[in-house]
Amino acid sequence: MDQQLELLLEIQDLRMQRRELTDGSLTDLEAEVFDVKIEDAIQSLDEKVEELEQRLGRGIRARYRRIADKAPRVVAPVINGICYGCFVAVSTARASEADRNLRVESCEYCGCFLYHVR
Amino acid sequence: MQLRELFVPSAINLDLAAETKDEALKELVSCLGLDGKSEGILYKMLKRRENLGSTGIGRGIAIPHCRSLVVTRLRVAFGRKLSGLDFKAIDEKPVRYVFLIVAPPLEVSNQYLPVLGKIAQFGKEADVPESLAELSSPEQFIELLEAKDL
Ligand SMILES: [Zn+2]
Repeated sequence: MDQQLELLLEIQDLRMQRRELTDGSLTDLEAEVFDVKIEDAIQSLDEKVEELEQRLGRGIRARYRRIADKAPRVVAPVINGICYGCFVAVSTARASEADRNLRVESCEYCGCFLYHVR
Repeated sequence: MQLRELFVPSAINLDLAAETKDEALKELVSCLGLDGKSEGILYKMLKRRENLGSTGIGRGIAIPHCRSLVVTRLRVAFGRKLSGLDFKAIDEKPVRYVFLIVAPPLEVSNQYLPVLGKIAQFGKEADVPESLAELSSPEQFIELLEAKDL
């Protein structure tokens, strides 16, 4: 897998984790059952995301910022040829098994980076 | 959806080889049948979640959990280590029973939260640690969930 794509995946998963802690869906469970200090956790996630963002190459980081500033989702999974960022089929030329995840691609419709899930 | 329908026998390990928390996480992730790269990413995410606070909720039970793009549906696994693992649990006691829960970012049926909640509740029942200690087959694990109507 492309290393930059792997970084993007990690960033996306951490952003998801952060969002769930702040939008209320996981907040109570994490605080009550697991004794997580929510504010500390959010700060720690922010720091980690920032650190990973610094490791993105310049071009990709610029593309990343354009998406990240306006949408919660930066990387969309592609499952059975469908981009789950916008639910449109990605073009078949790039869906070939061998090429999957070997370079950073974006969805031409919604702009998300694409991660092909096996 | 009942909890017992989510657990497949290949993801129920009553005798983990792991000697440490990290090894236990890796061993449970490897039960899910993902490719090596995805396993690595998932393990990293689980570790990051543990860094926010241990998922060891006390009385020998831990529930590591996270969402990740590398899975396409909710996956669960159960591992037991009777000699105990240092999990930095809330009560600082060794962990013997580990429930792993991973979910994709988008789920049609939104099961992640209810499943996490149900397992946490199950783990808090007084008789559960003892019942988990006595299991001798994955089938009995399923039967235990069934007896609890889970
Ligand atoms: Zn798209």
